[in-house]
Amino acid sequence: MENELPDLKNYKLSFHGQGKAYFGIIIVNWLLTIVTLGFYFPWAKAKNLKYLYGSTALENDRFTFHGTGREMFVGFIKAIVIFGLIYGILALFMYLEMPVLGVLLFYFTFIAILPVAVHGSYRYRFSRTSWRGIRFGYRGDRNELVVNFFQWIFFTIITLGIYGAWMVMKLRNYLMSHVRAGNVEFKYKGVGSKYFILNLKGYLLSIITLGIYSFWWYKDLFAYYVDNLSLHKDGQQIKMKSIATVGDIFKMVMGNLLIVIFTLGLGYAWAVTRTMNFMVSNIKLQGDMDLTNIQQTEDDYNDATGDDMTGFLDINFII
Amino acid sequence: MATTPGIYFDGISSKPQAIDVQLDELNAGIRFGTFSEGFNLWLVEEITFEQIGNSMEIRNKHHSLALVKVNDALFASELIAYLSSRGHLSWYQRIIQLGIKAHISIAVLILGIIVAGYLVIIPWVAEKAVMLIPQKYDISMGHTFYQQYLNTNTIDSAKTGALNAFASRLQLRNTQKLHFTVIKSATVNAFSLPDGNIIVFTGLLDLMKDYSELAGLIGHEASHVNNRHSMKMLCRNLSGYLFISAVLSDVNGIMAILGDNVHNLQSLSYSRQFERQADEQGTRLMMLNEINPTGMTDLFSRLKSDEKVTMPSFISTHPITKDRISEINLLIKNTPHRFKQDSKLKELFLQVTH
Repeated sequence: MENELPDLKNYKLSFHGQGKAYFGIIIVNWLLTIVTLGFYFPWAKAKNLKYLYGSTALENDRFTFHGTGREMFVGFIKAIVIFGLIYGILALFMYLEMPVLGVLLFYFTFIAILPVAVHGSYRYRFSRTSWRGIRFGYRGDRNELVVNFFQWIFFTIITLGIYGAWMVMKLRNYLMSHVRAGNVEFKYKGVGSKYFILNLKGYLLSIITLGIYSFWWYKDLFAYYVDNLSLHKDGQQIKMKSIATVGDIFKMVMGNLLIVIFTLGLGYAWAVTRTMNFMVSNIKLQGDMDLTNIQQTEDDYNDATGDDMTGFLDINFII
Repeated sequence: MATTPGIYFDGISSKPQAIDVQLDELNAGIRFGTFSEGFNLWLVEEITFEQIGNSMEIRNKHHSLALVKVNDALFASELIAYLSSRGHLSWYQRIIQLGIKAHISIAVLILGIIVAGYLVIIPWVAEKAVMLIPQKYDISMGHTFYQQYLNTNTIDSAKTGALNAFASRLQLRNTQKLHFTVIKSATVNAFSLPDGNIIVFTGLLDLMKDYSELAGLIGHEASHVNNRHSMKMLCRNLSGYLFISAVLSDVNGIMAILGDNVHNLQSLSYSRQFERQADEQGTRLMMLNEINPTGMTDLFSRLKSDEKVTMPSFISTHPITKDRISEINLLIKNTPHRFKQDSKLKELFLQVTH
């Protein structure tokens, strides 16, 4: 690295979750969800996130997820109402025998909802996350994101999907670069063309090698995510670097596959903790930032609607 | 009174402050002196905690970002015991602290309930659901399939006419009109559609030696139609699939595939049950028409012993053909019946098979 200084410090990121303990969480969630005919689901989700965040530590201090089942339940209900309205409008247009207009409007609202949901999800999740008592936050502007998103989608459609790689990078740059933890700012610098070539190469070689290359592809994707992420505060910074090898990925993926199959799914908890452990232990953090004087800057935000909408849309929280 | 060193984060900056935490039973809480705020007393009813390994994080409900961290297992267990004695341990924490053996038992119990639901409740619900579906859906479904099927296959119209004439001489207790179609094909098979269309291949007809065998086949297929087996199968498959995906939705793709395969195995045994029913009712229909019921088993035995022929699907999926034959034989033996030769049927049979 060109700007590496001699007094760079390594920061320790670690995962302390255990399959056994996580299994208990999942089973109790499962039981309560069934007993309550599904109504417990938002509370289960909160418990799940609490455990996974709480098991991840930076410099031996754990992250905390402060979200509650009640917040997620309210968000869940709001999300159901919103989706109900969208389908209701579609049905109304069908009833009025204007199906073309109805379907166009339907897709339009769906595309518009994606960035709104992602925005809400980021605001909620980060505002509900803390480390050393310092709250995270997301300061993106919703309207700006919606306008950008429509442009990106438009370009993606007219280029028959090729622009998709640029779109993902622009989206990730926008989202991650508006994340902060107190007065520490996140920055992501992904480049569309590099991401496109990485995926094109991964895709073609995976086909040629009957899927074997996919482990290398996964390694490149993971590294592209991690290596472009950095933290900044008062001119100090922390850079991230992936140290995952293809062997690590192979061991993780194949191990998880075998665990899940041979336990008929009951080993899912172990698969998750192994995956978390893989990710956390393969990110190296290095820099000159003082982590003992981060200042609280972010407000409370307790609307989980966006988070629940992304859940319905089956979008991963981290884009 | 237990005291232990800990670290305090005040929720304003990330600066760690070294503190001594004391379990203060007199004031019912924990006490610690801080650099930024002086002495703090957190009452038991305000305290929440998370324990992961030896480390314990204590928070205050009224000040959710501030945080006390202790790394002392003894202190942690004393605090938990104290909270528990004051009734401030939530039922959730109690369940979580039951340990892995209890959790595995809960998992097995839930799985048991799900399996029972799948094997008992789903078939029952599906059966009832079929009653609610109007027969016109059977008809339009079968009709669509029939039209598409004919586009890619050739009908033998002479044999089709003779087969329909043959069937019309039989009393089949059918609730909807049956229509037979003979397809020119070496395939040894026959199947019925939910709208009453029954398709028979010349390959199967060519193997038959007596008209009672043809009557047996017709009885078997007519029973499938009479009992709406296709629709029942569809309902079961659909509801079974929905059930499995609902249960597994929280897990991942691999589980969905596993679930799919489990379901296929299960629907195979559903179809066995339907085939048995069709065998039994088909045999009874033969008796009703005074046709020798052993025609049914003769046909099965010939198909089974003929090694050049791959088992047609209407018999191969099934409870091992041998079992089916003996079940039919038992039925014939235990049911009083008589039969006679019918020269008209015999004549039509010759037209169908030659």
